[in-house]
Amino acid sequence: MTPARIGTAALTIGLWLWPVPEGLTQPAWHLFALFVGAIFAVVVGALPILTSSILALALAVLTGTLAPAKAYSGFANGTILLIVVAFLVARAVVVSGLGQRIGYTVVSLFGRSTLGLVYSIFLVDGVIAPAFPSNTARSGVLYPLAFSLAAAAGARPGDPSRRKVGALLMFSGIASLSLSSALWLTAMAANPLGAEVAKPFGVQISFASWLIAASVPTLTGMVLLPLILYKVIGPEVTATPDAPAAARKALAALGSFTRQEQIVSAVFVGMVAVWAVAAVWGIDSTAVAFMGLGLLLATGVLTASDIAKEGDVLATYLWFAVLFTISGQLNELGFMGFLGERLAGALSGLPAAWAGLLLVVAYVLLHYLFVSQTAHLLALFGVFLDVGVKLGVPAAPLAFQLLFATNYFSAITPQGSSANLLFAGSGYLSQSDLYRLGALSTAVNLLIYLVIGVPWLAAVAR
Amino acid sequence: MSRGVTALASATLLVVVSVAGLVGRAEQAGGTAFEGTWSATGRRQTLPTEDGGTAATVQLSGPVTLSVGEGLSRGFHGELIGFDDGRSIRAGRWVWTDTRGDRLFGSLEGDGLRTGRGFTGTITGGTGRYAGIGGRFAFTWQYIVDADGGEIQGRTSDLKGQYQRGQQ
Repeated sequence: MTPARIGTAALTIGLWLWPVPEGLTQPAWHLFALFVGAIFAVVVGALPILTSSILALALAVLTGTLAPAKAYSGFANGTILLIVVAFLVARAVVVSGLGQRIGYTVVSLFGRSTLGLVYSIFLVDGVIAPAFPSNTARSGVLYPLAFSLAAAAGARPGDPSRRKVGALLMFSGIASLSLSSALWLTAMAANPLGAEVAKPFGVQISFASWLIAASVPTLTGMVLLPLILYKVIGPEVTATPDAPAAARKALAALGSFTRQEQIVSAVFVGMVAVWAVAAVWGIDSTAVAFMGLGLLLATGVLTASDIAKEGDVLATYLWFAVLFTISGQLNELGFMGFLGERLAGALSGLPAAWAGLLLVVAYVLLHYLFVSQTAHLLALFGVFLDVGVKLGVPAAPLAFQLLFATNYFSAITPQGSSANLLFAGSGYLSQSDLYRLGALSTAVNLLIYLVIGVPWLAAVAR
Repeated sequence: MSRGVTALASATLLVVVSVAGLVGRAEQAGGTAFEGTWSATGRRQTLPTEDGGTAATVQLSGPVTLSVGEGLSRGFHGELIGFDDGRSIRAGRWVWTDTRGDRLFGSLEGDGLRTGRGFTGTITGGTGRYAGIGGRFAFTWQYIVDADGGEIQGRTSDLKGQYQRGQQ
């Protein structure tokens, strides 16, 4: 047994046996012990995320901590199914050859450097984001782009010579979604819910006031974060001055759209269009994805054998559904609210400025325990805002800081948002890459929103 | 010891006993005060009504954190189930469970489950160290937010009430 596994077992058993804090029930505390153990095992490299999450689920049910019906509820969650289907639709983009064409097109426009390709992801995402209240659906649009760019750059998951280029492009998808969601009120499902919670505190948030408040810190992040990721990941290929010309040649060689490309384009554009209006028209995003997949299968663009090759999808589905369930049950059992109330209450007596700072930092760090941005916001945003206001922190700037954090902390762990999963499961990023880069990008964004955002919000948020 | 010191000590003792007696009588009359917050998450299942409104069953659970309340745990796991007829919650029951597993039971009624609406609760009994307890409390929902799929989240930050022992 490795030291990491011994440490994981010791931590989990130690927490399990620790006296239950006043105000919590035993199942809530025991489930917390299992969840912390599962995440710790991944962070220290004791177990892969699939193994640790499955063991945690089994222990939760076998010890009576969770009832079976509750424990398996994540497997029927619509958002999780959306990810699975989006994976398969993205596969159609690749097998039809459309991905290659998209990749060459973007490289011909932005491909003079690897950094240019990264910015192209941020640009596309930032522009389409206000029309996509589901950032998970948006990840289904961005992922084929990032995957096609990686392929056009010659990166293959199993090929060490170009792996870092793929890792950079894939993590850029995660980082981009975390910022584009913060830029627009309508770019993430939880944003309007947060605006609703903020109302009783005298904070009125509209589409325009959100955009103004978010603009300076978020755009700063969109400029700086790609640079920092580029420096840290250090792709093997940096300058590619001849790539645009080569891409144009390759595009010419591809000729006109094949029948398969036409079908995939039509289905994909149709899915994107319906996703964009899904919230307004009350259409279920997952059903849209299923319809798209069904059409791709019916037209023969995708076959059952193509789907059978996507083994990673099953692994992602399993571990994410398990962690989603456990985190959700921690919330239902009152653990998240308890933690928020206790942490926020511990700040009483602090000067307003310190209280505001610590509330934002604690709010961000607590996302290590969440597998859904919406669940995090609903459990903690109101509690933290209430405590901050009572301690004298101005309501509007604090509300915006916490709401922006609800978006950018999505990158902190691979399970921090369902929007991360397509990129996390691409094969280019190891689990340690995901946690390391997630912590880094979240820390950079936190710093930007504090250093740039605090004076900006003091000026524009009333 | 001088007679003056003895007299002062006697007077002090008399004051202490008197104050204790007064406090005891006050506790018997009005009970022991408690204050805190209640954060709750859960589900609302709705049914349309003839006037265009909606009736709903609600089930919520979450931490009750007390900042004031001698004799009560500082924290409970609170659960609530109720029927909202579209105008008010007239049939609601709740249970608070502390870390030892001791419970407080009660009923609840009030305006509909929406932001800013007021509720009153009655403590109807308890188990373990709360056996024989009774009392009342009131609070206002600071916010109630409806998320996708009938999920709701709410919080009250002004829960205040009093309890008495010896009700059973």
